[in-house]
Order: sequence, then structure tokens, then C-alpha cells
Amino acid sequence: MEAIGLQPVLFVSAVLFVCGVVCMTTKRNGIGILMGVELVLNAANLNFVAFSRYTSLGLDGQVIALFVIVLAAAEAAVALAIALNFYNNHLTIDVDRGDELRG
Amino acid sequence: MDSLGYELSWYLRIAWLLPLLGFAIEVFGGYWGTRKTKTAAYLAIGCIAAGFVLSTVAFCRWNAETGAFSHSGEAAVHEEHASLRHIPFAGQAAVADHAEGHAAEHAEHGSGEHVHGEHASDGAEHGGAQHDEHHAEHQSIAALSGTIYTLGKFGDLEVSIDYYIDSLTILMFMMVTFIATCIHIFAVGYMSDELTEDYVDHFAHTSDGHHVHRPGRFYRFFSYFSLFSFSMLGICFAGNIFQVFVFWELVGICSYLLIGFYTERKSANVAANKAFIVNRVGDFGFIIGLMILWTYCGTFKFGDYEVDGHERPGLFSMVRGHDGELAQQGSDVILKTHGHDGHWQAPQEGESKTIPYTLLVVAGLGVFGGCIGKSAQFPLQTWLPDAMEGPTPVSALVHSATMVAAGVYLAGRFFPVFTTEVLLAIAYVGCITLFIAATIAIVATDIKKVLAYSTISQLGYMMLAIGLGGWAAGLFHLITHAFFKSLMFLCSGSVIHGCHHEQEMPKMGGLRRKMPITAYTMLVGVIAIAGLAIPGTGQLMSLLTFGAVDKPLAFSGFHSKDAIVATALAYTQLNPLHFLLFLTPLVTAGITAFYMFRLWFYTFAGDPRDHHVYDHCHESPKVMWVPLVVLSFFAAFCAANGEQGSLFGMLSFSEPVGLADGMTATGTAAIAVPSHHAVHDVHGTAGAVALLAAVLGTLTAYLLYCRKVVDPENIRNQFSGVYNFLVEKWQFDNLYDAAFVRPSHSVARWCAACDRNIFDAILHGSVKVCIWVATIDRKFDEGIVDGLVNLIGNVTRSVGLSLSVFQTGRMRQYVMFIAVGVVTLFALLFAFMPKA
Amino acid sequence: MSGEQILFWLFAVTACAGAISVALSQIVVRMAVSLIVCLSSVSALFFLHNADFVGAVQLMVYVGGTIVLLIFGIMLTSSSPFSKIKTSPAEGFLSAGIGALFLSIIAFTVTQVDWKIQSDKVAAAAPVKVSSEGYNAAADGNTARPLALSFLGLRPDQNGQAPGYLLPFEIVSVHLLVVLIGAAYLARTKRRVAPNA
Repeated sequence: MEAIGLQPVLFVSAVLFVCGVVCMTTKRNGIGILMGVELVLNAANLNFVAFSRYTSLGLDGQVIALFVIVLAAAEAAVALAIALNFYNNHLTIDVDRGDELRG
Repeated sequence: MDSLGYELSWYLRIAWLLPLLGFAIEVFGGYWGTRKTKTAAYLAIGCIAAGFVLSTVAFCRWNAETGAFSHSGEAAVHEEHASLRHIPFAGQAAVADHAEGHAAEHAEHGSGEHVHGEHASDGAEHGGAQHDEHHAEHQSIAALSGTIYTLGKFGDLEVSIDYYIDSLTILMFMMVTFIATCIHIFAVGYMSDELTEDYVDHFAHTSDGHHVHRPGRFYRFFSYFSLFSFSMLGICFAGNIFQVFVFWELVGICSYLLIGFYTERKSANVAANKAFIVNRVGDFGFIIGLMILWTYCGTFKFGDYEVDGHERPGLFSMVRGHDGELAQQGSDVILKTHGHDGHWQAPQEGESKTIPYTLLVVAGLGVFGGCIGKSAQFPLQTWLPDAMEGPTPVSALVHSATMVAAGVYLAGRFFPVFTTEVLLAIAYVGCITLFIAATIAIVATDIKKVLAYSTISQLGYMMLAIGLGGWAAGLFHLITHAFFKSLMFLCSGSVIHGCHHEQEMPKMGGLRRKMPITAYTMLVGVIAIAGLAIPGTGQLMSLLTFGAVDKPLAFSGFHSKDAIVATALAYTQLNPLHFLLFLTPLVTAGITAFYMFRLWFYTFAGDPRDHHVYDHCHESPKVMWVPLVVLSFFAAFCAANGEQGSLFGMLSFSEPVGLADGMTATGTAAIAVPSHHAVHDVHGTAGAVALLAAVLGTLTAYLLYCRKVVDPENIRNQFSGVYNFLVEKWQFDNLYDAAFVRPSHSVARWCAACDRNIFDAILHGSVKVCIWVATIDRKFDEGIVDGLVNLIGNVTRSVGLSLSVFQTGRMRQYVMFIAVGVVTLFALLFAFMPKA
Repeated sequence: MSGEQILFWLFAVTACAGAISVALSQIVVRMAVSLIVCLSSVSALFFLHNADFVGAVQLMVYVGGTIVLLIFGIMLTSSSPFSKIKTSPAEGFLSAGIGALFLSIIAFTVTQVDWKIQSDKVAAAAPVKVSSEGYNAAADGNTARPLALSFLGLRPDQNGQAPGYLLPFEIVSVHLLVVLIGAAYLARTKRRVAPNA
């Protein structure tokens, strides 16, 4: 069975990552930004799993991937709480409106 | 005896402290009440009257125990060489062993109570065979002393609050409280125009020429009065010389406050300062005396006392012992420190405590210096006439009857410590004073000034008597003078009040028709001070009273002055060299009568000279004339029966030991002091010449001022040199002005110039240098230090401001920055990192 | 081309398409749906790479948990069902440009590095003997068991010589607890103070 190889996975991961970044920069919706973050984290996870499969990293990569998933879930919960507060205070979810601390 | 001293001290203690309580309350009168209430006056009167009642109780107790008053002075004169010290104790017809038992019992009590006097056995040996057995067999007491509170103890040395009670103390208490009560009541009327919120002082002007308006000071006046009463009673009560000094200064400050009562008047301020400063001169001597006695005797106490159960002699016992003799040894005086129960002797062998004779003289002169200042004696007499700036009740109480008499009182109290030289000095000072003051009084026209000079003159009489050894005579005159002089001052106060503060006698005249009570009570005082008597009435009185009284009918002044002149005559017979000491008081007796009657005729007799004053004057209200009547009664009769009278008898009861028999001429001064017997022998002669002088003076005054036989104006023009000399008060003020005041002013000016030109210049220079340095420092601070800090701050701020442009507040932009940053970073990395 | 490769490419394309759809879509709900597609494909990729446990967790936590959370968030914060908040086209192009640059850099890096040599270097430098090959399910069995043991501190896959993950596991547990409490605190309804009080 021919292995898929490391590089294609890294490419996929790169695409996910860039999509996440673009998501973060273009979405004015706070939830959208949150989704971008999730994409970025997933790209990282995909990398860890790939390295676990193809390099000497071994099982450690998967362990780290698990930690990342867990932290991402926690981050999502906190971010959602922040988003709700933002919405309470500004009556919108448009993050461009939250520029009170501009210089 | 313990109980008696304890009891008496409590009566007097309360009488003494009540005015202090009154003062403590009255000082707040201005806050607690309005200025229109008389509460302060009632409080003050209540305190002092209660003091009088307590003094009277003490007097009765004392009299009951000693019989000093009721036995009168007959023992002194009628019995040959009878010692006045041996008045029967407590009316006990006790035999000697009883007395011994009493003494033993007394010795066992260690509470600091001491009885000074002699045992019967002493008296027997002293009085000789002729001594009346009745007196000889009883123990006698002359003084009680004790300690109230010990302030401090330094080894054997002790400073404490003591009491010393003898006849003199009790009489002074009676006199002071009684006269003070009368004057307090009088003052309620006199000071009534102070009962206002807006008092107009017609004698004080503001800088724009208006009269001074100020709130009334009724309560303040009475608070000062209470403080003064407290202080004066403190002097009489004091049992040690230091305590006397403390109260001495207290009456001084009261005098200062009361003279300067009308503080807006410049003359009052100057007079108050003068009185205070002149008194300081005398008090300086007082302090020197105190230091000498403290150094050599180690105690200030008059009476014997106890330390840790050991009996110690007081000052009097130490110097005089129990027999009144100085124990001289070469140039030293041995202090009598051995003995007990009032028997003090020089130690027979071993170490003895001594004081150089000269220092004892200096100590006596120093203490007498204090008396000179307080009693306005030559050469410090100048302050008293100026002290008349105070309200008239003040003049009556402070500056005639009590405070100025304190000097005489102290001279009398301290008599045992004075050596013959000091006594001679006292006699001459008194003699000079009485003459100078009397002559000035002749030309004075201010009614209060005349009385002031007569006060000085009479104080001179008292000093003279004490100096001559006429201890009882001097203090006798002190008491009688207090009555008639306070009476006359109150009368003059009544006149001044009635004439709306007119004090110049030439503007008065004929006032007896307008104010009869004042006029006739004043006449009583004038007759008393002039020493007039009805000659030949002695026999009549003797018949009427079955021999109890054989003195001519006369007011108190006659008796006391008579006693002094008699003492002077006897003294001059013993010491012919000092004949002036007799002639001067004799002549002055005539002058006294002259100027006192001149005053009375000027003021009350004849026709009104100034109709404006006459028309507006009126008799004073009842609150003012009642004290006059009461005082005039006492001025007339307090000395009834002269030297056989009760008053004199009581005084001579506490006479210092050894005076009764006189002193023989010993020591450097070679002065002999006449015995009572000798004085009694010449009494008749002296009384006659003194009366003659007084009558002559009175007649002259009558002829000059009432009959107008010769116009006094003519005499004045005739002797204008003498007249001006007298008007200028013998040039004393000018002399002191030139000798002390001006030099000290010029020294002060020189010091001020020194201050201004040298010290101020140095100060100003250093200040300028400081300012210069500070200016440079400021520039450095502002330019460099501040500049640096500001620069850093400004740069930081501007950098921050320019950087804050990037803080757009847009989250997406930040993410964009991060992305761009990462891309750029990697691009740079790839471009510049060396290939592996 | 083996079946495994076919599957890989299928899921890779799906994941990329989902991700691009997320990036391009303007409607939030659609973004969420695309995200589900993307994340599911990624979990499939995990399965393909012998990470069966991680893949399962990915499905459960991400697709089943986080996405539901996000959809709740969308529902709580949007005023209308299809509300969109537009971005300016200029921003879109700028982002696309930056993204392209980013992608090219990563692609450049991935192609330029010889991963085999790097892996050998790491294996040689390791203190214990490790395989320079990755984890192989065929050789080592399913991952659930070794992962569970490694969280308990045991490493049977490394002959028991490598350190386990007991302590990080505990720390993460506590961390999660704190985060949940914090989230609850932040999200709770604040009692507004009456303006006239």
C-alpha cells in the first residue's frame, strides 16, 4: 500500500490555515472570526497528526492534537461568552463597532 | 496646743483661700454673665466677708486661749519689767507641774506644730523678783506654726507652704478682711458706671481725638480685687520667708493690674510700669537676703519645725534663740541650733553653724530693701503717688491700707533677724521718708495725691518705730492707719464720684453742704491722722472708768502716733547722737496736721470756688456712705485707751523676745534700744509735745485756709523756690529720670542702633547671599533638571502619540497586521538566511 | 492509485472546499454548515492517518460540540435569519492577496524541506531509541489504548522509556474547569441598573 506521504497533507493543512486567516480578516461577524480560528486550529491539528504518522514524532503528535482539540473547545466557549457580552453591550455582533480603545 | 494651731490654721486657711475661689469664678464673669450684672461684686464681697467672719472666729479662739486681747497691755507698762511674753495660757490657773505636763504632751506630738514661747521657769529668771506671780506660773504661747504642704525636700533642706500664727497674723487678717469688705461694698457704688456695654473714658483719647469707647469692666475689677485679697492674706498667713516672697510678688502684680485698670490712659500705663519696676528694685534686695539666709541657715521657715522627728529651729530661733540675744563670736554669729521645745542655744562644744555678722546685716538690709519698695520708702517712694491713677477703691485698699503696709508688716515680722545696724538704717529711712512726703503733701492739690503722700509719710512713721525698737508701736500705727487712711481714701472717692471725676482741690470748696456724710466722716479721719486729742481729759476718763482708762479723749491716730513719738524720745535720750530721729517726726506731726486740715478746709469748708463742679455734685448713694460710717467708727475708736488698750496689748503679746527690756549698746553701731519702762516714763512729755505740734499745724491750716488771714498765694510767691522744689517732689522724679531712665533709654537706643546697623546688616547680607544662591539654584532646577525630565516625557509622549495611530481598534486589521508581519518575516528569512 | 489515496484526495478536496466556502460565504449559517463539512472531512483525514482516537474526538467535540455552540451563538446574536454584515470588496481583495502570499510561502517551505532527513535527525538526537517512522496502526494496533495509557503516564509504545502525559492531562482538566466557570460567568445575564435609580 502506497503511503500518501507528508507533503500532500501539509498542503491541505496550509489551505485550511490560509482559509482561516482570510476568514479572520474578512468577517465582520464575531462568530465568523471564531470559525476562522477553528479552521486555523484544525489546520494545526492536521499537521500534528500527519507528523505523527510520518515522522519520529510518533504518538506524541496525537496527544498534542488531543490537547489542542480540548483547548479549542474551551476557547470556543469563552469566545462565545465574549461574543454574547459584546452583543449585549453594542446590540450588534459587528466587531468593527468595538473600537472604543483605538488610539 | 496642737489642736489650737490646727484649728486656727484652718479658719485662716479658708479665709485665705476663699478670695482665690472667688477670683477663679469671677475671671470668667465676662463670659458667663453680661457686663450689666453685679454678680461678680456680690461674689467677691461674699468671699471676703466670709473671710472676715472666719478671722473673727480665729480671733476669738486665740483670745480665749491666750487672753491677749482681753488682758490688754497693762501688764506691759504697769508692772515693773514685766515681760510681755508671759501672758497666761488658756486661762488655766494651773500650777507649774500642770504646765510641765502640757509641755511634755506637746513634745510627744510630732505633727509639726510648734509653740513658741517660754516656760514659766524662764520667765521667772527673766522677770526677776518683782515679777507678778500670776503671770509667771503659766506657760505662755506667742506663736503657732506648722506646715501645710511640703513642696520639695533636698536632704535636710525643705521648701514648704507653712503657716505662722500669732497676734499680728490674726490682727492683720481681721484688719485686711474687714477693710477689704468695706471697700468692696463701697466699690459696688463707685464702679457702678462700669456696668455697661459701652463705657466712655473721658480721660483717654484715640488718635483721632475722640474719647475711648470700651465695654465696662465691672467683673474684671472685682476679680482683681479678689486676687489681691487672696495674695495679701497669703503674705499674712505665710510661715516662711519664701512663701512671703511669692505672695509679695502676687500683690505686686495685682497692684500693677489695678493701677493700670484704665489701660487706655497712657498715664495709667506709665504709672503701672513705674510701680512694678520700682518694686523690682526693692525685690532684688529681697532675693539677695533670701539667698544669704538659705545658704547659711538652710531654712526659710519662721517658726521651729520638725524633720524626720527631729526638732529644728526656725529662722527666728536660730538667730535669736529663746532669750533674744545674738550669740556673737568674733565676726561671726553662732546660729542656735541646739535644744528643744523652744529652748535654742548655741552648741556648747563641737561644730557650730555660723553666719558672718556682715552677711546677717546684708541679709537684713536686703529684706528691708523689699520692704522699702513695697512700702514706698525713701528712696523708692516715687511710685506711690503715681499709683493713684487707679480707681479710688484701689487706692484705698491696695495703696494705703494693706499692700503698702505689707512692707511694714514684713519688717515687723522679720524683726528678730535684723541687727542693730539694720534697725538704725530702717529708722533713718523711715525718718527721711516721713519728712519728705509730708513736705510734698503741703503743696499737692490733687486730693488723692495729698492722701498718697500722707500715706508715704505715715508708713515712714511705722518704719521709724520699728527701727527704734518700738515694734508694737509701729504695728499699732499700721492698724490704726489702715482704718483712717482707707476711710479718707473712700471719702475722697466719694467726693470724686460726686464731683464727676474732678480731683483738683482748687475747684472744690464748700462741699460739706452738698455731701455732709462724706464731709464729717472725712473729718473723723483727718482728726485721727492729725493726732488731735483733748488735753486733760485723761483724768476725767480715769474717774469715769474707775482707772481702767487714763488716756485723754482722742481718736486712734493720736494713740499710735503718741506711742511712736514716745519711743523716739526715749531712744533719743539713750542715743543723743540720733536726736533727729525724735525731732523730725515731731515736726512732721505738725506738718501732717497742717496738710490734712488744709485738705479738709480746701474741699469741704468755705465757699465753692468752681460753681460748675459745685452745682453738679451730690452725696453718694447709700452703698457708698455706709462703709464710710462704719470705717469712721473704727478709725475713731479702734485704738481706744492707747497703750493700755486691748489692741496694743494684743500686739505687744507677740512682740519679739527681749524687746521689753530694751537693749544695751553693744556691737559696732553702739545703739541702745529703750525698754518699755523707759518709753512709758517719757510718754507724758512726748504726748504733750506731739499734741502741741498737731494743734499748731491745725491752727495754721485754719488760719490760712479758713480764716484767710494770709493768702496762701502770697506765701507761694514769696517762697517760690521752695514751693517749686516741693511741687517737683524734691526733684526725685527728675533725678531718677536723669540718673536711670534717660541713661537706660540711651543705652537702649544704642543697643537698638547696634541691632539695626550691625546685626540686621549681617542678617540682611546673609539673606541676600541666600537669595542669590537660591536664584541660581532655581535656574539650574528649572533649566536643566526640569528640562531633562520634560524632554524625556515629551519624547515619550510624542512617540506614543505617533504609535497610537496603529491602534485602530479594529480587530480584523490586527489580524491583517499579523499576517502581513508573518509573510514579511518569512520573506526576509528566505531572502537573507544562508542556505543550510 | 490505491483506495487509500483516492479517499485521501476525496476528503482533502472536500475539506479545502469547505474551508474556502467558509472564507467566502457571507451568511453565517452557511459558514457554519461549510465548517461542518470541512471539520468532518478533516476527521476522515485523521482516520486515514491511523489516528482513530483523535478522529473520533474530532467528530465528537468539534462537529458535535463546538459547532453546536457556534450555532447557538449565531442564533443568540443575529437579528434576522439571514443577516449578513458585508465587508468592502477592497478588504476582500487585500485579504485574498495576503492569503495567497501566505499560502505560497507555506507551499514553498513544504516543498523545500526534506522531511525524511529532519525526522532522522530528531530520532538520532532523542535520548531513547525511537523509530524514525511514524506511528503505524498496522504494526502498533489502534491508538486508543496507548493514548489512554500515555495519559496515565505509561508509554508502552516507546518501551516505557519516554515520559507520559499525566501532569499535562491534569493541568488541562483544571484549565477546562476554570474556563467553563469563566465562560459561564461572562455569559450570564447581567442585571442592568435602572437608569433612574
